Amino acid sequence: MESRGWSRRRLGDRLGLVVYGGGVVGVTLVHDPVWLTAAGVGVWLGAGKERGRLLRRALRLALPWLVVVSVGYGMVAFWSGLPVGEVLLRLNLRVGVLVLLTVVFATRVSLLRAVDFSPTLVWLFTMVMSQMVLWQRLYEEFRLALVSRSPGEPDLRTVLQASANAIAWFADQALATARNQAQALRARGLLE
Amino acid sequence: MHVPDGFLSPATYMTAYGLAVPLWWVGVRRLRHELDAETLPWLAAVSALCFVLMQWSIPLPGGSSVHLSGIGLLAVLFGPWVSFLAVSLVLAVQSLVLGVGGVTTLAVNALAMGLIGSWMAFGGWRLLRRVHEPTALVFAGWLATVAPAAVVGVTLGVQPLVAQGEEGEPLFFPFDWEVTLPAVVVPHALLGVVEGVVTWWGRSAWVRLRVRHGE
Repeated sequence: MESRGWSRRRLGDRLGLVVYGGGVVGVTLVHDPVWLTAAGVGVWLGAGKERGRLLRRALRLALPWLVVVSVGYGMVAFWSGLPVGEVLLRLNLRVGVLVLLTVVFATRVSLLRAVDFSPTLVWLFTMVMSQMVLWQRLYEEFRLALVSRSPGEPDLRTVLQASANAIAWFADQALATARNQAQALRARGLLE
Repeated sequence: MHVPDGFLSPATYMTAYGLAVPLWWVGVRRLRHELDAETLPWLAAVSALCFVLMQWSIPLPGGSSVHLSGIGLLAVLFGPWVSFLAVSLVLAVQSLVLGVGGVTTLAVNALAMGLIGSWMAFGGWRLLRRVHEPTALVFAGWLATVAPAAVVGVTLGVQPLVAQGEEGEPLFFPFDWEVTLPAVVVPHALLGVVEGVVTWWGRSAWVRLRVRHGE
């Protein structure tokens, strides 16, 4: 039987998904930089105690794109006499707010709980997400192992050899994990 | 070639969602019909490889990014419909869990990379495989990279036309397609060769792995 805590968390995650979806659409419908700034401040304040870390993460994700596009457009606009200030301000604010919103959503809401109204979505996301987590963890372990084995900066040959070993290991591990999951899903009637 | 959130107007991404939702429904039905417990682990493993390949991306001035994707490999191994759904799932998880790509742009990214990339790769491979299999695989990988890049370039390039302010200033992505098309397609045309080699190598490795696992 489902516990009351689990039901409450699931309801909260579904509500979070709905609020996030509405928020994302809303931000793309607003064009006034003042309102976009207010939305950004609102999301940042609503992010809770971790707001500093989440803001840094959002900036790390958004900045490469924003810098490349802003510098490019700035140069084109300078030579062509196109409007630049408000266009770039609006673009940077909008992208920044959306990325921050997504980072806060990803931290606060369990996607699997939010979509558990659909068994199909749950098994699709479970298969893909578990593989991604596994690959990320193995990649980090192999990277750290290579660093610890190398007295200095590893040369290209060493890196390529380590990469080939890592890929072979990844493939076997990923396959074994996915096989176990497929068996578990089949045992629960999800592949019938 | 992910388009991030905030670059596309609601008119663009709503239209894309309108197209993508019924196609995802078809994809799920095909997936359930075509996949069994033996093939599913392989699909999950190759999808995870696609996720890893997409992680290393470089932003482009055209508003997109350049990266390997493994879509050619997915399409050749599992067919275009399954590949479309697998790529869509990878993109969804990337955007919702890691904040990479975008939720508003998910449908555009999925249609460009997952649907068009997969079908072009599959078609290119089918067309050439009787002539020379390795060439067909490299061509499939190249098409899986260049065709979505062209779609993304055009989609970004129309934004200044479809979403303007009162004085004609762009409200979303500011460059038109004279800038976006070459800025997105040219780097992908070069990277497509590497993607082609990955497709060729991946298919060979897949065959060897299946033999090793006694399938």
